[in-house]
Amino acid sequence: MDINITGPKILYEFDWGLPVLGNFRITETLAVSWLVMLIITGLCIFLTRNLKVENISRRQAFAEMLVEMADNFVIGNMGEKFASFVPFVAALFATSVVSNLIALVGLYSPTADVNTEAAWAVVVFVIITAQKIKASGVGGYLKGYTKPIFVMTPLNILSELATPVSMACRHFGNILSGTVIGGLIYSSLAVASAALLGLIPGAVGDLLSKIPILDVGLPAVLSVYFDWFSGVMQAFIFCTLTTIYISNASEG
Amino acid sequence: MPVLLEAAKTQDLVTLIPWTFIAQICNLFIQIFLIKKFLFKPIREILDKRRAKADADITEANKAKEEAEAIKLEYEQNMLEAREKANNILADAQKTATVKSEEIIREANQTAIALKAKAEKDIEQEKRKAVNEIKDEIGSMAMEIAGKVIEREISEEDHSKLIDEFIEKVGEE
Repeated sequence: MDINITGPKILYEFDWGLPVLGNFRITETLAVSWLVMLIITGLCIFLTRNLKVENISRRQAFAEMLVEMADNFVIGNMGEKFASFVPFVAALFATSVVSNLIALVGLYSPTADVNTEAAWAVVVFVIITAQKIKASGVGGYLKGYTKPIFVMTPLNILSELATPVSMACRHFGNILSGTVIGGLIYSSLAVASAALLGLIPGAVGDLLSKIPILDVGLPAVLSVYFDWFSGVMQAFIFCTLTTIYISNASEG
Repeated sequence: MPVLLEAAKTQDLVTLIPWTFIAQICNLFIQIFLIKKFLFKPIREILDKRRAKADADITEANKAKEEAEAIKLEYEQNMLEAREKANNILADAQKTATVKSEEIIREANQTAIALKAKAEKDIEQEKRKAVNEIKDEIGSMAMEIAGKVIEREISEEDHSKLIDEFIEKVGEE
């Protein structure tokens, strides 16, 4: 049996032919990203309907809890002066979680496309650099590369670039590996059930061996880890690293 | 559908596509804006409103408490004043009573002393009067005795008897 793990499908391609940028392709990544954004925004609008000061509904309590959790997370990791980063981190987390989990309904997960994580990581990298320059000035920022000694400069540049690359690849790799492992398990269990039921002689065995009966059950259990746990965990890790890197950068 | 499926191409698994990359950055910022506008802004507004209300309630409660305490203080002060006044009145009354009673006693004493003095004076007067009367009586008796003696010879016996009688009379009177 063939296992085919492919990238996102290209749904539409604008034939612009720009240099470097190339054609604008609407891939599954973008389409599902927009869907994810719609879901998150719809959820926000749903949760914040009919807000009251007193005698609040459970829905409002949940929305307030989400806001407080985001506040606690960001302020706990970064300190009070980064309170304006709460929506950024919350958006990052929500998009990541919903993107990771949307694979459960059979859609292509935008986070299984490295472009998504690369985009986020570059944004984080820009913020980190901006914070460093803000903390110690352009000269101080550039000087930071020659510390502790001048010879270390290439390594420092490398480690600086490694930050976004590692963030992007960590998240992407985890989600992709979840997809790959899911595919492997499904197909291997299909092969196993075909082999097992093929032992039954005659036409009954031929018929039953076409039904991958072993695919029922076990993949669902494994998906709890590879999709649910890993999906939420990677979003959490990405946001934690974001907050810690940014707050470290601001300390110079 | 089959036509579309055949036409669908796939992107390489791990590759950077500039447009997708840029679009995802834009998506992230749009998402930040949306989540800020539709979740954080309304929730923060409502939380602020609630905090303001709670603050107002607390301020009001504090004010009420202060007022109550002021009233209590005033009441206690009034009570204290009233008690003091009552004590003063009581003390005054007691003092007045003491003074009056002493005065009464003193007056009574004085009256008693005056009465006693008067009585003594009366007694003295009576006594003097009595003595004077006795003197008169003795005189008249002496006269009588003398008359009797003149009327008849009195024996020795009569003589002493008379004297005894006389003395007896004097004593009686």
